[in-house]
Amino acid sequence: MELSPVAVYSECDRAALHVRHADEAYLIGPSAPRESYLRIDRILEAAERSGADAVHPGYGFLAENEAFAAAVEQAGLTFIGPTSKAIALMGSKTAARAAAVRAGVPVVPGTESPLGADVPDAEIARLADTIGYPLLVKAVAGGGGKGMRTVTDRADLAGAVRAARSEAGAAFGDAAVYLERRLTRPRHVEVQLLADHHGTVLPFVERECSIQRRHQKVVEESPSLAVTPANRQAMTSAAADVARGVGYTNAGTIEFLLDEDGRFYFLEMNTRLQVEHPITEMVTGVDLVQWQIRIARGERLTLDPARLLTPVGHAIECRIYAEDPDNGFLPSPGRILALRVPAGPGIRDDSGAAAGLDVPIDYDPMLSKLIAWAESRPAAVARMRRALGEYVVGGIRTTVPFFAWLLEQPDFLAARFHTTSLDEILKSRNGRPFVEPSKDDEDVAAVAAALQAVLSPSRGGLSTADAVGAWKAQARAEGLR
Amino acid sequence: MHYEVEIDGRRSQVVVHRTGDSFHVSVDDRSWRVEAVRVDALTLSLRLSTGQESGPIVSREVTLAPDGMTGQTRVSVGARPIQVSFSGRRRSGQQASASAAGSGPQRLTAPMPGKIAKILVKAGDLVAARQPIVVIEAMKMENELRASRAGQVTDLHVREGQLVDAGAVLAVIHAG
Repeated sequence: MELSPVAVYSECDRAALHVRHADEAYLIGPSAPRESYLRIDRILEAAERSGADAVHPGYGFLAENEAFAAAVEQAGLTFIGPTSKAIALMGSKTAARAAAVRAGVPVVPGTESPLGADVPDAEIARLADTIGYPLLVKAVAGGGGKGMRTVTDRADLAGAVRAARSEAGAAFGDAAVYLERRLTRPRHVEVQLLADHHGTVLPFVERECSIQRRHQKVVEESPSLAVTPANRQAMTSAAADVARGVGYTNAGTIEFLLDEDGRFYFLEMNTRLQVEHPITEMVTGVDLVQWQIRIARGERLTLDPARLLTPVGHAIECRIYAEDPDNGFLPSPGRILALRVPAGPGIRDDSGAAAGLDVPIDYDPMLSKLIAWAESRPAAVARMRRALGEYVVGGIRTTVPFFAWLLEQPDFLAARFHTTSLDEILKSRNGRPFVEPSKDDEDVAAVAAALQAVLSPSRGGLSTADAVGAWKAQARAEGLR
Repeated sequence: MHYEVEIDGRRSQVVVHRTGDSFHVSVDDRSWRVEAVRVDALTLSLRLSTGQESGPIVSREVTLAPDGMTGQTRVSVGARPIQVSFSGRRRSGQQASASAAGSGPQRLTAPMPGKIAKILVKAGDLVAARQPIVVIEAMKMENELRASRAGQVTDLHVREGQLVDAGAVLAVIHAG
């Protein structure tokens, strides 16, 4: 596209890959997000100074913030995403539900309007009785599992509402909640959309995102083994209808819950690109980010609708986090001392990690997204397992061993799971390590450690300082190459 | 050289002899002929054989990096890094000193920089193994830090709301 990318960054991200790979880069403040990545004024200053024409909001921080989109529009720049109006409308969970109802799309039974702090407990209890238990208390402005509580017993309702409100108030600045029936063993299936400014809305083959830990997706795949061709037809048309009904433009995703009988319900809309978009790109061959830019420029969608609904092969994504899976997924910030990344046919690593980088404590600890594509699901699983075995990150803990374990589980291989299966399995494991190394691997580790000590006789093994020094020396050597 | 090495908490005796360009390495009762090439500062390429003329020669690329949390070396061979530490280093023929691992007071340290969100015990409290002691907030999440063994909390070095660095001692627990 011959565009020149401009990056903005916070103090702790000076050496981050997005800064290193951009043509221009502007510091917008200290590490704390509210002083940098959430500062609309500073981002617009950087845009002005660079003479940028358009702003892509990514998929974190301000990506679903209508005030940001509006500020970009008012500054005379192009926002690569939906209009601020569409973000505002679909960002309210209750307004989005109403939009789905208007489009004739089923929604999970629940309250129709937000329950602000002024709604008395007795009224909430009455509404809960009409919906039925078990139910979910959810933040109107919510996302990522924050401000969400499951209630199975009437007695726990008031406490759950209080907790959800306090969490939602802290996370989103909006304490309003709503109630929704909790379906038993539902799957989370979502439909990617592209919509241009000329009235064309195109849905893509679904993504299966049921493998979640505490309401956060950890593995996604496309297509879903639980979706029949008839269901695909119905869900993708329903998704397009919701988007058309609100005049939606650019990329967006409609999330559905799919129950055991194949009935689906509108859950919410994400008014941005999603973390898991690469799997859709892998099975359709469409570059979604490029299309976001082309749509923002006013181009017409020229993609063949049938092709977008006909997946070629199967794709799986694992979200690799700087977390210690053997220690309750405790965050593991620190310096990445060594990094070896798998490659080869069908393997894609969308990564922010590099040797020598510090994983900051200030942000979400996602390091990379590892994606495997192959002609069938079993082949994609096999390819992913091979790639995980080759993924080496030294200095910090990662969730790679957890994925190596997960991709061997019979229920995963048979695609038998729903949105809370993983939490149930993790609970029953009681903290046992995910991968037990073989005796052979342990012996090789002992041999390697001893030889490392012999070959570096001044040290009895490596200290952190030595390793950092060695990394710097290597980086310098590579720079000279 | 003779090393006492702890592999994922299990102790092994490792003996290394250099023979020309390669090494003879034994780990407890198993031994290999090993040829090692340094790939970069943290990576070795190893070729291992049992020493028999016709036997297979295994090739392994191994990365050794200190772990930010423990400072111990983690060795990547397969999907899960293997924790390796030297509990003693001595010339062949000398006796290993008795290790003190597993005794003495337990120091609960911060695995990451963060803010102390909650302190769940008081000085003097008796605590069980795996009982949560402190909740530390980092990376937008609250994490419980637990006692690794049962004992009595003798010191608490932090208060709620305090910011701490990685490695800071938060509490000391004496085995009961």
